[in-house]
Amino acid sequence: MAPPTASCVSGGSASLDLKPYANYLRAGSVMIAGLIIGLLVTVLSLNAGYGFNSLRAGPWISWPHTGAADIDPYARAVVARSGEAPLGRDQGLAFIARTDSNGAPLNADCEYRIVDPLPSARYWTIALASPDGRLLANSAERYGYSSVDVLRKEDGDFEIDVAREARPGNWLSPGEARDFVVMLRFYDTSLDIDSNPDPNSFPKIVKLGCA
Amino acid sequence: MRLNIPDRYLDLAPWVIATLFIAGIVHVVSVLLMPSVAPRDALARLAAYVKSAAPAEGLVLLPQMTPGAEMLPFEDPALAEAVCVYDLAKGPLRVKTSVDGEDYLGLSFHASAGRIYHSMTDRSAIKGKIDIVVGDARQIDALVSADEGDAPPPQEVRLTAPTKRGFVLIRSFAKRPSDQERARSRLNAITCQRFDLPQG
Repeated sequence: MAPPTASCVSGGSASLDLKPYANYLRAGSVMIAGLIIGLLVTVLSLNAGYGFNSLRAGPWISWPHTGAADIDPYARAVVARSGEAPLGRDQGLAFIARTDSNGAPLNADCEYRIVDPLPSARYWTIALASPDGRLLANSAERYGYSSVDVLRKEDGDFEIDVAREARPGNWLSPGEARDFVVMLRFYDTSLDIDSNPDPNSFPKIVKLGCA
Repeated sequence: MRLNIPDRYLDLAPWVIATLFIAGIVHVVSVLLMPSVAPRDALARLAAYVKSAAPAEGLVLLPQMTPGAEMLPFEDPALAEAVCVYDLAKGPLRVKTSVDGEDYLGLSFHASAGRIYHSMTDRSAIKGKIDIVVGDARQIDALVSADEGDAPPPQEVRLTAPTKRGFVLIRSFAKRPSDQERARSRLNAITCQRFDLPQG
């Protein structure tokens, strides 16, 4: 296509006599707009998660490919930017929940209960973290539970309460934070990473009420 | 059929296409460049800590995680961790320990720019021992050619690292918060040392 003639651009600014430069101006704005749009798309896509091939089970999401040599370029960019060292694929799997089981974002003003079941693994841990992966300061200095030290009922089931104020039994507190995420990690698990696991084999995050 | 589009818009079409084309290139290039320009990736954080913790090389235990003093984000507070930051330009590396088969020990081998090229747990130890040699392609070749004698084949696992610089992250699982000391002592029993290639 032939480049447009200058006459239709400058129109009103003809008095400044920009007509001869109209194509240069257009080329310049194309470059600047392209740069801004390109970087914007990069920021948005990196904030959306760790690239492709995620596993989903209810509110839980995992990106097993971040832990292997076939990590995709988006995941590599996210990992490099956040500075994390993902769990190797042959070591285990880490899941993150940013919402409760109904899909509502987790809010530290609300109370939640995390309930059985869990897929099989040598060990698992459930811990709270800030959305950017830091520990949350709290008065109990308790950041998570493992499959070994969680208190179980007589039938072997467990419940973990997430609330600012102390609760009997298993209790995790987000402290003074406003937002938090729940991390569920399996160590030495036989979980299949090629298809989405059954959501019913994963814990539920039930909202009990909000302050 | 002639579409009724004003000429004004048709004239702009090549410029819009050019804008999207440039945006696409900028997006792809910025994603691909991110790992090599990100200033605070895991390797940079760990290398800075190892430098401040003094030992020139070998295994360095990371301090226990507390709010506000995490070395890396998204790490499990139930883990005790140690790191071995290496530069293969100085020579190949040997990571060695024995395992008791009871407690979880995970080793992951990270190249620079966010790629894990090998990971394992104590479950894949051979006869209760973990013995891993990390080298670049030339160093591994030299080791293999040095084998070709009458000596029995070595029991070690050899890894070819894709980049000269990288780190080995070792995670030791503490089942209860009170087990942290035990988990850290397991880390202390691991050696991570540079060695010289056999001459020949």
